[in-house]
Amino acid sequence: MTRWFEDIVIDEAFPLGDHTFSEDEIIRFGKLYDPQYFHVDPELAKQSHFGGLVASGWHTVSVGHRKMVDALDAEAERLKAQGDEPGVSGPSPGVNSMEFKAPVRPGDTVSYELIVTGKRPSNSLPGWGLLFNQLTARNQHGEIVYRADLVGFSKLRDYSMPLKLRLLLALTKVPVIGSLLRRGT
Amino acid sequence: MTNPVTQDRRHFEDLAIGEVINLGHVTVTREMIFTFAREFDPLPFHIDEEAAKRSLLGGLASSGWQTGALSLRMLVDSFLSKIASAGGLGFEDLKWKNPVMAGDTIGGTVTIAGLRRSGSHPQWGIVTLDFDIRNQNDKPVMTMRLANLVECREVAA
Repeated sequence: MTRWFEDIVIDEAFPLGDHTFSEDEIIRFGKLYDPQYFHVDPELAKQSHFGGLVASGWHTVSVGHRKMVDALDAEAERLKAQGDEPGVSGPSPGVNSMEFKAPVRPGDTVSYELIVTGKRPSNSLPGWGLLFNQLTARNQHGEIVYRADLVGFSKLRDYSMPLKLRLLLALTKVPVIGSLLRRGT
Repeated sequence: MTNPVTQDRRHFEDLAIGEVINLGHVTVTREMIFTFAREFDPLPFHIDEEAAKRSLLGGLASSGWQTGALSLRMLVDSFLSKIASAGGLGFEDLKWKNPVMAGDTIGGTVTIAGLRRSGSHPQWGIVTLDFDIRNQNDKPVMTMRLANLVECREVAA
């Protein structure tokens, strides 16, 4: 969450809230990004093994991502309210695995939960750490809709740049040397 | 029990490992980035140009989920809507390799990497598809391996 990397507790579960999927929004997303007949056409969808319209997996996952962003914001606000400086999350390098386990139908309410299962300092990005997150989405019957293993960047609070790197960074700001150095990377 | 929607499409038996699907391409505009991000990924570097300049990405970039959604759309148009697809099972090893900046054009290929019959459902096969999405400078922006169900013409014994 928007905590400093150092403050993140492994295996703590964060409920991210829920979302009810309407038929209209399922069709709207499907038409834009996944126009297969069982995501966009309620009549034709009856012929599929789903027996009716279902949301694109990419839709339920995108909503799950939104829920995570909202939870990060809420945590940042909470920390600010108590006079603490919130941590910084960065862009994600990727997703290790994503399993769609049950379809989401119009009217279904999906609740999302995040657990940080591991963390380590990044090798490629000095000053940042990697978080390994497991996101689980369940429907109103408690069935798992999808489960994902995600990776995210989180800024280190207690990081001081090694002298060599600080020197190199200072050199990139010198006009001629800087452009040569940047061309080399 | 033939599915009238998919009966004339290619089925599991008609697919071959190594087949390359050309996705075409799409240009990702500033407005597209804002629209997707406001609904699904309202982080400062996806919805605020000034904040984006100060971020790790160095400028306004699309949400990784949008890059994936646009890639999926290209795959539906070029392949999934032409086969007897029965839905996605999930994906593995999704990597966002480089940010997609406003104005970039992305496209690429998807290669059939695997074909196997479902162990539990004799009417289905599973096709695994390797995405290689690149920008206009041929720089990789996203790779992933998607698993998708496909109806079989002949149900396994």
